Amino acid sequence: MTMTRLPPEIRPVLDNGTPAAMVTCSADGKPNTTVISQVYYVDDSHTALSFQFFSKTMRNVRENPRAFVCVFDIAGQAHWALDLAFERSETEGPIFDAMDMQIEAIASMTGMSGIFKLRAADIYRVLSVERVPHPGLTASPTEGRTSSSG
Amino acid sequence: MIPGKIVRFLEHHANVAFAGIRDRDLVPFGHRVSGWRVGDDQRTMTVLFPGEFLDRLVESLQQNGELAVTVEEFPSHETYQLKGLYRHHRGIRDGDAEMAERTRRRFVKALKPMYPGAPEDVLNAFVSPPSLAVEFEVFEVYLQTPGPGAGSRLVPPVER
Repeated sequence: MTMTRLPPEIRPVLDNGTPAAMVTCSADGKPNTTVISQVYYVDDSHTALSFQFFSKTMRNVRENPRAFVCVFDIAGQAHWALDLAFERSETEGPIFDAMDMQIEAIASMTGMSGIFKLRAADIYRVLSVERVPHPGLTASPTEGRTSSSG
Repeated sequence: MIPGKIVRFLEHHANVAFAGIRDRDLVPFGHRVSGWRVGDDQRTMTVLFPGEFLDRLVESLQQNGELAVTVEEFPSHETYQLKGLYRHHRGIRDGDAEMAERTRRRFVKALKPMYPGAPEDVLNAFVSPPSLAVEFEVFEVYLQTPGPGAGSRLVPPVER
């Protein structure tokens, strides 16, 4: 089974609740993109994604478990690209409860109280992870990249 | 056809976007976006990409053509996803840098209150200069603004 470990440098980026973008693909080959509020660190080889509204994402990963997530690190002028594989969905338990609390906090900070509601914590295995510095206005696109994969 | 209201949103209000593609094995992949423009026919859209994973992007688009782009106005979270098929790509030309600059200005203006102490160049770096333009034909538009209607198809309208 392919798996990789999340580097410690990604932990503070995930913990600060930065929004992320997610791409999935249906069994008939149509990609789907969405913004997600939270990528939760479960352990060094798993993340949990908040499932709130988008049933298309939920349907896609049950048809085709592969997913791609881009976590933005605005202060670090970079993003993290994660290849993931869906494993299971949890609607109760410590991961769900912790994510639910974080979602409430994010909703309150972004004026989305009462709209953001965690329906499930979807658990994904990390297949590869890469930090991609933003070329911005000075650095070269490939400068400083780090990656790992199983 | 992209409705006029959404064209105006895309051209004047949206400030961040992300694109999704997939390869021959149905493995999804995403790419940051530097800017966009709706074609005069309101059926096509040109998306500008920074120089990150362009080989993979172009290979997938040429292979299967499938492209999805989510465009959001931060911090209101008004969001739409446009899905369609790749038509062609080209290098950057006159006007593209200005298109990306407009996106950057709108995004940085929206972001500043959340990062009051951040140097402007750090915020500016979030929207990278474009290296490639991709034109695609839009066949479907979905509402993705958080809330009960999120995920509903706007174009073509759902028959009831």
